[in-house]
Amino acid sequence: MLAKWKRLRLGLGIMLAAGLFAGCSPAPTETKTEPANTGAAPAAEGSQTKQSAEPKTITVAVEAEPVSLDPQNVTDGNSLTVQRPMFEGLMTFNDQMKPVPLLATEYKFNDNATEVTFTLREGVTFHDGSPFNADVVKANLDFVRDEKNGLARNNYFSFIKEVIVKDPTHVTIVSAEPNSAMVSYLAHPSAAFKSLESLNKKKADPGFNLDRNPVGTGPFKFAEWKDNQYVKVVPYENYWDQAHKAKVESIVYKPVIEAGTRINMLKAGEADVISKLPTQSAKEISQDSSFNLFTAPSLNVYYVGMNLKLKKYQDKRVRQAMNYAINKDDLIAGVVDGYAQVADSAIAPHTFGYSQQKVYEYNPEQAKQLLAEAGYKDGFDAVLWTRNSSEFIAIAENVTIQLEKIGIKAKVQPYESGTLFDMLDHEKGTDLWIGRWSPGTGEADYGLRPNFHTASFAPSFNNSGFYSNKEVDKLLDDALVTPNQEEALKKYAQAQQIIYEDAPWVFLHVPDNVVAKSKDVTGVTVLPSDTVLVNDAEKN
Amino acid sequence: MFSFIVRRVAGMIPLLIVVSIISFLFVHLTPGDPIRVLYGTEISPAAYEMLKQKEGLNDPLYVQYGRYIKKIVTQGDFGISYRTKSNVSEEIVRRLCYTLVLTLASMLWAVVIGLAVGIISATKRNTIWDRLGMVTTITALSIPEFWFGLMLMQIFAVQLGWLPTSGSGGLEHLILPSLTLGLGVAAIVARFTRSSVLDVLREDYVRTARAKGQRGWVIVMTHVLRSALIPVVTMTGLQFGILLGGAVVVEQVFAWPGLGSYLIDSILTRDYPVIQALILLFSVQFLVVNLLVDVSYGLLNPQIRYE
Repeated sequence: MLAKWKRLRLGLGIMLAAGLFAGCSPAPTETKTEPANTGAAPAAEGSQTKQSAEPKTITVAVEAEPVSLDPQNVTDGNSLTVQRPMFEGLMTFNDQMKPVPLLATEYKFNDNATEVTFTLREGVTFHDGSPFNADVVKANLDFVRDEKNGLARNNYFSFIKEVIVKDPTHVTIVSAEPNSAMVSYLAHPSAAFKSLESLNKKKADPGFNLDRNPVGTGPFKFAEWKDNQYVKVVPYENYWDQAHKAKVESIVYKPVIEAGTRINMLKAGEADVISKLPTQSAKEISQDSSFNLFTAPSLNVYYVGMNLKLKKYQDKRVRQAMNYAINKDDLIAGVVDGYAQVADSAIAPHTFGYSQQKVYEYNPEQAKQLLAEAGYKDGFDAVLWTRNSSEFIAIAENVTIQLEKIGIKAKVQPYESGTLFDMLDHEKGTDLWIGRWSPGTGEADYGLRPNFHTASFAPSFNNSGFYSNKEVDKLLDDALVTPNQEEALKKYAQAQQIIYEDAPWVFLHVPDNVVAKSKDVTGVTVLPSDTVLVNDAEKN
Repeated sequence: MFSFIVRRVAGMIPLLIVVSIISFLFVHLTPGDPIRVLYGTEISPAAYEMLKQKEGLNDPLYVQYGRYIKKIVTQGDFGISYRTKSNVSEEIVRRLCYTLVLTLASMLWAVVIGLAVGIISATKRNTIWDRLGMVTTITALSIPEFWFGLMLMQIFAVQLGWLPTSGSGGLEHLILPSLTLGLGVAAIVARFTRSSVLDVLREDYVRTARAKGQRGWVIVMTHVLRSALIPVVTMTGLQFGILLGGAVVVEQVFAWPGLGSYLIDSILTRDYPVIQALILLFSVQFLVVNLLVDVSYGLLNPQIRYE
């Protein structure tokens, strides 16, 4: 019996050991194909390849694995960062978030802003060799607009009524309603184009995975996605823009959730660029001469939302008092080590259409007086909901302490984010909550409409405090249908003024995006939209 | 013995059915809506309804459960992840490999270090070595994994440059995460071994062995350890089962693509198919590890019989 068991035990042991360390040992044999990839690399890049003993690869440590490599199937900035070298759209944003032509050479609106016609750049090809033309634009936009395809950005493109191919180099996009913000919408990274061939493959075989087979027109093409380890892109030899051809042999994006680890990777030379640095470490990195620190104001606005259905928040003076009660500078110094600026509008300064408002300067006396005038001399009790991440809790605690000084006793109640959204959507006792909003499009309409329009009440949209002002509604609606951009911007500015004055939020701060890179790498840009661009990067 | 194993395995089935029901209810009754968490306000109410319909989330819970179980039993299909749109079983198998490798390596550290420290402390009781060993284990137990991992990384990867900071690949990637993960378990093993060995050292047969002139080390290795190891094995097995559930903190710190980070991501995004499959998997792992522990008693001590 025992002997039998010994044999069995031995067998089991060998099976386990062999199975684990050979069969599924983490040593990735695929990475050995690397030379093959660079071997197939373009002749133009060949000379550079031969010169350098070490292949010049730029490693970017990002905070998560991309959800998908299909630009129309993601909503997070991190996935877009990884997609950027591979994809391009008709328009793009410059570093001021102003839309400028990219795959288009020019565009023209009709008189009432219902149509915009693009002239397309000629000689642009996809990574699979197929040409970029008006049919591609139509096929892509029609595909994402079809709800049956279930793409995450489906709703984003609902402003389009029809896409008309005039000739191979001219395409007209007709909007459902007059829409002057259309060009901004089309400059967003999600309005990038996949090759017609890959779309046709998907149509022929629903099992074909567009999330994992990206084919774009960008300076880099897809090489490999090793699950939970990295996404690798290599230069595209026939990229149309000679001035912006790839200057490195590959870019590797590694998902590293823990920020401390990303910093250690930078220090150990394992990563050249790291995104989303916690502010505590930013100071330390900025003092080290071998690294550069980038800080760019983000498009995020942090706020304290209030449920305007509750009697206590119905008086504007109460809401303003709360704005006066918060020392924003103190909050920024205490919570984000100074890497932020005061939110001086409902949208962040780099949002297209932003208009600066007069900040509620910290003034506890005035706050108390306003509260007294509104009949809350002794303040009141409140519950402050927050996500349970340390950042959000720190903000909530700082806000609570400051509110207490004017007699508002708020109790911090942290929830896991999914639970919190659910509770806000279905008004399960909404009182105060810490919120954050960033307009995916980078322009005013998407910053204001989902939060302040009467038609945006929860659960369909983000107006979970039920703020409603007919004037704001009208300004937002009018701005969207105004063909004249200047006039539209004026209306957005007016809307921002009313909202800031009405104070349905306690406007807190706009945090900086903090990104670090090694001194050896140049040509890295950080867009306010949370995207890190390394298309033009070089390594010495 | 064989019939014992068969009976134990058969006994797992009703348990797993109960676990599957509980895990199903647990994920579906937790507040939070997977479609809303995944798409935010980016989709229209119509598209939202369509996606909900597509995932079958509008059906009554028992219908959804029936469909879920039927797919598992008839096709071995655990569904498609809402978040990554990938096949759940494939993704789990891929990540399970990493978790297994990391767990085994950690247990190796734990057993080697733990046994050595435990035995030395017991045999050299009340000496400086014993005190040193026990103070070290208490310290090891109290150090947060998160901090210890980053410290190891700082020393061995950033300062000395001997090992990579994180990621997975060769054996060199395994050293730091497994050491971080194994440290706490090593401390527990050491303390258990010490007290267990001390108990056995008081037995009559040990005194007899000494009386007949056997050397101290031989006695410990041949007579004492056999009996002393039983509680240690039980506890080690339990720890093994826990580690198999994925080491969330260590995986995050070292960017190790195991099950722990997968579970956390899925819970945060309400990825129902993944959460359910993982809970089932963890239950099975625990049951199997327990069975192995029971079986190993007989190997350590032939006096133990299975009824």
